[in-house]
Amino acid sequence: MVVKIRLARFGRTNSPFYNIVVSHARTARNSRPLEVIGTYDPIPKKDSYDTSGKLHKDIKLDITRARYWIGVGAQPTDTAWRLLSMVGIIEPKFRPSTTTTTEKKA
Amino acid sequence: MPPRIRSSQVLHRAESSLLQCINPTAPAAGRPSSTPSCSPSILLSSSTSPRQPSSQCCAFQRPQQTSSFSSTASRDLNKAQRNFWGWMRSYGRKHRDPTGRTNYLGGGSNPFPNNKEFKSQPVLSEAARSVIYDAVMKEGLPLKAVSAKYNVDMRRVAAVVRMKEIEKKWVKEGKPLARPYAKAVQTMLPYSNLTGEESEPFEPINDIHVHSYTMQQLFLPTSESRHFTRQDAAKAFGEHILAPDEKMRIPELIAFEKDVVAGVANEDAEANFFKATAASERAIADKHLALAQRDENNKTRVDSGRFEFRFERISVDSAGHDGRARRGVGWRYGVPFNDRRRAVVKIPTKVE
Repeated sequence: MVVKIRLARFGRTNSPFYNIVVSHARTARNSRPLEVIGTYDPIPKKDSYDTSGKLHKDIKLDITRARYWIGVGAQPTDTAWRLLSMVGIIEPKFRPSTTTTTEKKA
Repeated sequence: MPPRIRSSQVLHRAESSLLQCINPTAPAAGRPSSTPSCSPSILLSSSTSPRQPSSQCCAFQRPQQTSSFSSTASRDLNKAQRNFWGWMRSYGRKHRDPTGRTNYLGGGSNPFPNNKEFKSQPVLSEAARSVIYDAVMKEGLPLKAVSAKYNVDMRRVAAVVRMKEIEKKWVKEGKPLARPYAKAVQTMLPYSNLTGEESEPFEPINDIHVHSYTMQQLFLPTSESRHFTRQDAAKAFGEHILAPDEKMRIPELIAFEKDVVAGVANEDAEANFFKATAASERAIADKHLALAQRDENNKTRVDSGRFEFRFERISVDSAGHDGRARRGVGWRYGVPFNDRRRAVVKIPTKVE
């Protein structure tokens, strides 16, 4: 059976929150997965004392485990692919890598 | 409360003068109401009895009477009202008009005469707030030192600095300040200028929390030769109980007092105190900085143009061997969520 890396929607009405999970493709969305490798909060937030108005989104991810699951053939969904490609785990699917500037601050 | 006019004569004069204001066609319109002798309308109304039937009042010759307010005579004052006005004429006279300072009923600093123990605590005056702000921001003294110097709680010192910063920012931005409100409040409350002329300090700054473990009586057998210190006493109450010296908000004051007792010159002792408080403040700042740095090192920021995505590195092992540990990342499976339970406080308890 195909193993997928996908999002499982939690949270409440109008305030979504996702677990980034590794699970079998044919199981229910919110069923217990093989592993929870992170979370994705899609609601953009502001920094407390930042007046520039720039918004950010918070993601938690176990990069080592994500690499492992990709290595053994897990298939990310499009959304999961987008997120994983941002940290350089896989090649971006839809956009060339040049448009997304990946930078790591010390 | 404005004083009531008691005699019916005067009441009618007041009524008719009110009428003049309302009805410009009244015969005495434009005349000063304070001269009743030369005002025909006042003469008219004062001649009519208050209990007159309304049909007479509505006569065409006296149109000003038709729109008169109640012509019922005021009731006699009851005992409480008589007492009140008696008090108002004697002792209460000084409470009649605002004085610009506190003018409490109980005298001194007590606004509630029946609550003898109540004391209205002073607030910091505008000048005092400036003094604190200058000490912190211009002289660069540590918050703890300013707190000890002026006997103002450390948290209040920090709050004053923050509020002053906001005030200055608003002035720079041209935002209006609520000055009249502040002035009005300051006239109604006792305030302290922190000049040191007050008989007692502004507020206690070294209160310590009393742990409930230490409120019990405890018999501890120990040898007579043992030097039993506060630290030992704290340990006797519990392994995690701190000695008072360690619980103080400004523990550097202990070293300062010890210096003074040991005969160190006051300037030197003060200098040592400032140095120690500055060092402790720097240590706290460094700690916060190190924590922030650690968090930042654990993050990767990716700018997609529209949003910045912040990837925080975590470990799946935090979920424990069965994947259900509380510290695990993400929403947990197979456990109830209490975020919609009734009678649970769900409002945020802090602002970030």
